[in-house]
Amino acid sequence: MGMARNLGGFLVLFLAISICEAASIFQPISDSHRSAALELFSPTDGSFGSLEETYEALRTFEVLGIKKRPDISATSCQSVSETLGSSTSSLKDVFHALKVNSVLKCKVNDETFQGVAKRLKAVLNDASSLLDFYYSIGSLVLIKDQNSEVDVLRDADGIFRSIKALSQSDGRWRYSSNNPESSTYAAGLALEALAGTVSLASSEIDQSLIVTLKNDIVKLFDSIEKYDDGSFYFDEKLVDAREHQGPLSTTSSVVRGFTAFASVTSGSINVPGDKILGLAKFFLGIGIPGNSKDFFNQIDSLACLENNRVSVPLILSLPATVLSLTKKDQLKVKVNTVLGSSAPPLTVKLVRAFISGTKDSSVIESLELKFDPETAVHFLDVLPKSVDVGNYKFVFEIVLHDSEDKNVYATGGQTQVPVFVTGLIKIDNAEIAVLDSDHGSVETQKKLDLAGENAVSLSANHLQKLRLSFLLATPRGNIFKPHQAFLKLRHETKVEHIFVVGNSGKQFEIILDFLGLVEKFFYLSGRYDIELTVGDAVMENSFLRAVGHVELDLPEAPEKAPRPPPLAVDPSSRYGPKAEITHIFRAPEKRPPQELSLAFLGLTLLPLVGFLIGLLRIGVNLKNFPTSAVPATFALLFHLGIAAVLLLYVLFWLKLDLFITLKALCFLGTFLMFVGHRILSHLASTSAKLKSA
Amino acid sequence: MSKLLIFLTLIPLLPILTTSFSLENPSSRRVLVLLDDLALKSSHSVFFNSLQSRGFDLDFKLADDPKIGLHRYGQYLYDGLILFCPTTERFGGSIDLAAILEFVDSGHDLIIAADSNASDLIREIATESGVDFDEDPAALVIDHSSYAVSNTEGDHTLIASDEYIKSDVILGSKKIEAPVLFQGIGHSLNPSNSLVLKVLSASPSAYSSNPKSKLSNPPSLTGSAISLVSIVQARNNARILISGSLSMFSNRFFRSEVQKAGSPTKHEKSGNEQFLTELSKWVFHERGHLKAMNVRHHKAGEADEPTIYRVNDDLEYSVEIYEWSGASWEPYVADDVQVQFYMMSPYVLKNLSTDKKGSYFTAFKVPDVYGVFQFKVEYQRLGYTSLSLSKQIPVRPFKHNEYERFIPAAYPYYGAAFSMMTGFFIFTAVHLYSK
Repeated sequence: MGMARNLGGFLVLFLAISICEAASIFQPISDSHRSAALELFSPTDGSFGSLEETYEALRTFEVLGIKKRPDISATSCQSVSETLGSSTSSLKDVFHALKVNSVLKCKVNDETFQGVAKRLKAVLNDASSLLDFYYSIGSLVLIKDQNSEVDVLRDADGIFRSIKALSQSDGRWRYSSNNPESSTYAAGLALEALAGTVSLASSEIDQSLIVTLKNDIVKLFDSIEKYDDGSFYFDEKLVDAREHQGPLSTTSSVVRGFTAFASVTSGSINVPGDKILGLAKFFLGIGIPGNSKDFFNQIDSLACLENNRVSVPLILSLPATVLSLTKKDQLKVKVNTVLGSSAPPLTVKLVRAFISGTKDSSVIESLELKFDPETAVHFLDVLPKSVDVGNYKFVFEIVLHDSEDKNVYATGGQTQVPVFVTGLIKIDNAEIAVLDSDHGSVETQKKLDLAGENAVSLSANHLQKLRLSFLLATPRGNIFKPHQAFLKLRHETKVEHIFVVGNSGKQFEIILDFLGLVEKFFYLSGRYDIELTVGDAVMENSFLRAVGHVELDLPEAPEKAPRPPPLAVDPSSRYGPKAEITHIFRAPEKRPPQELSLAFLGLTLLPLVGFLIGLLRIGVNLKNFPTSAVPATFALLFHLGIAAVLLLYVLFWLKLDLFITLKALCFLGTFLMFVGHRILSHLASTSAKLKSA
Repeated sequence: MSKLLIFLTLIPLLPILTTSFSLENPSSRRVLVLLDDLALKSSHSVFFNSLQSRGFDLDFKLADDPKIGLHRYGQYLYDGLILFCPTTERFGGSIDLAAILEFVDSGHDLIIAADSNASDLIREIATESGVDFDEDPAALVIDHSSYAVSNTEGDHTLIASDEYIKSDVILGSKKIEAPVLFQGIGHSLNPSNSLVLKVLSASPSAYSSNPKSKLSNPPSLTGSAISLVSIVQARNNARILISGSLSMFSNRFFRSEVQKAGSPTKHEKSGNEQFLTELSKWVFHERGHLKAMNVRHHKAGEADEPTIYRVNDDLEYSVEIYEWSGASWEPYVADDVQVQFYMMSPYVLKNLSTDKKGSYFTAFKVPDVYGVFQFKVEYQRLGYTSLSLSKQIPVRPFKHNEYERFIPAAYPYYGAAFSMMTGFFIFTAVHLYSK
């Protein structure tokens, strides 16, 4: 279950990476890998982090031949000598320190090596787990390489046997004797450890052990898994999420172990060359991994495959699989090793070529490609006449010149490569016409130049038809049928209708009978813009051309006619700011000008003036004013009271409110009544006396 | 003892420390990445690294891992979700279609990448988000006029598109020079859905169909109606990115050089990295997330906020708007923020002036209509989270003593009354004492 999931997932990755399922094109390692390596392995503070990461970086740079690598030897050498000098550093660290040293060649004195070697041998004597064996043997091999004075293993056979004891019948290995689960990744580690044991052995290892191990390897390769594109890989059978290594590191571990073992033993190992080629394809198919671990695994494994003793994979690649007939592109093929170095003398044969999708009819049979030693490219000068534009599958075969080489190199037999042959397509006889429905007579007909601009203007009603026709021919003069031939009518309201232009024999033709299309056009009369799109993967002059427009006169829509679909709204129109709104205030009432009011004020004062003048005229006097003190006081108070009431009215107008006014008026009124009564009764009695007198 | 005390006082602070996604800090921080295969981690590492370098905590899981879940004990474990698992038919653990929709409904962000052979599950999630992928499982977007020129890609399904949405907030202010590479399936947007936007669309000559089979009927998706990458901003400001291509996120496409057919310029690097990095900034709320605060209004010349306005009062209104930059709140600068004085319909709608430091203000006269009004700021702009502020305030008419008192036009009346009063006073004296 987990397995299947993983496989499926990896397949997706594969498709994603090797764009467009270009199934069998694998490009060898190139400069893009080199620049990616410098990007991925960039030191921080003069080091790559742990010794393991340092080794991965250094090894990658070494394999890729990058000279201008970052200088980290000072810090790394220091940590190498610290690790080797300390007696408490873990086996793994010692192993990686030695690996770093193998690249950097730091100054480590012999005593240190001796001390480490002694310690490692002690570990080896009572080692039980595979990792202990792997790290200690690996370290000893590295010490031997760096300092030849370290003596060899005496009990190599015994160690060989105890590692072998962990193996399983299917070629997998267990990590330790009390762990029943076997792992493919561990098999790779075991093979590497065993290879180290053989190289360290003081005397020849028991041949029967080697033979059984070779059989184990064959069994291990039986469990190899395969992708459709011909690449092979190893994966863990049991997936434990924690320990799961992933196909890349598992395959890489096996490749490392297998090649190491192959290089220390003589005699053949029965592993077919195409499986090794498949492994190489697997690593190349990954492209450029994005993390440093994967990158190291890829490059290191490819380096192992590049120099392995069993068979060296040769990669056939095409710099271009899109060839233009019009530009007379040459078919070029390169054959390289996985890391991009040159291949032995060989000839590339184009076994056959056929149009993809049709297996039977091949257009080319058995052609030998010429070799240009200067650029190391095998090429075909001109494509044969039988190759027209189209989508082909070319089948190549590598023929090695030297029969000795056949044992050294894996060419993988026939390689199928999809090739697109493109060209300029000739467009002829393009015309557009409006036909009368009943007798098919042509009403208007216009020629079109589909290579340039057109602005045809037509008009038609629902009883007529529109016909568009053109001819397409390949550079070789054959009829060409494009994948995309669309006629698009777009109404003023942006409602679009698309028709596929079909071909009848030679001619591409479409006839739009508007009577049958009225409903589809939603009874929308008016201007329709006509657009023609013709395109194909192998057509170099694919185009989208505005042809012109047709003025359609369609009948009125009946009530139950379908409505045109809603159209997409431009999002920017939905979001813009709104127009500002300002409130319109009520206009104030119209008033006369102030002068007019003042004039009328003057007029209203005139009667008073007249009254005063009149009084003076008739000669008013105040002779009747009481002469005695008491009535005179009352009279004075009475008139003052009236004046106060009038003043109160003035104040009421100016500022007082009704309540204060009424209160004051209440007091003033009472007072006025009292004094008024006294003075008026006094005046009445005086006048009565006068009359009676 | 004192340590215990400190601990006890810190306990209420714990949720604040752990839930990093909040109004104060709107960027998603913890993101669950569901993959078909863990190898995608390496093949798409540039994209993931750009997220990690911006402080996101990515949790990579296989899509059918039985232990995955979006929430536990009623709390969401993640602030964002990336679905890079186009072929997954069923998620493991407790995740399913409903769980993902609920996740988005509670305001979390989502990135979906489909691909050819996308599973029904992924299609359904996309449909629920408002986009419909081409139903033909073998269909790819093909464009014979604006494909990416390549020596090894002949079927024109590798599309170089530069038809981006014009929005600085979504795609950043720096112009994307190189076209974006796309290879995958197209989708269409529902025209009635106003929340979903086309970010990258196909050219007019594109169509969606199976490149290997002959066309007899017009394809369902053609021309610029095909959307390659779309975004959704839900009403709760949750953001979704939907792409029809998983490979457009890959290192290979990021690093690939690109030349659009018919164009003489060859770009050293495709626009994918810039396009998707900027877009992911938008999706994870590092851009275009606004907040408004300190809404104030008062009468002109006063400082305190009144409880009621009188008709024809002059008032001043101000609000502060800030945009989240991924690390801090920066003043938001725009010239199209508007305030409405609203009762059933806007009586006043005015553009706010800004001091470019986040403060927006304006002054206007209260309309001569009384009732209960609202100050409303409805700010909805392309790519920004919407702001919707409203503050209620009553408006009263004039009091009786607030009208004008001494009107010149009435002077003749006053004059008449006072001359009458004077006459009366004189007349009383004359009448009583004249002989």
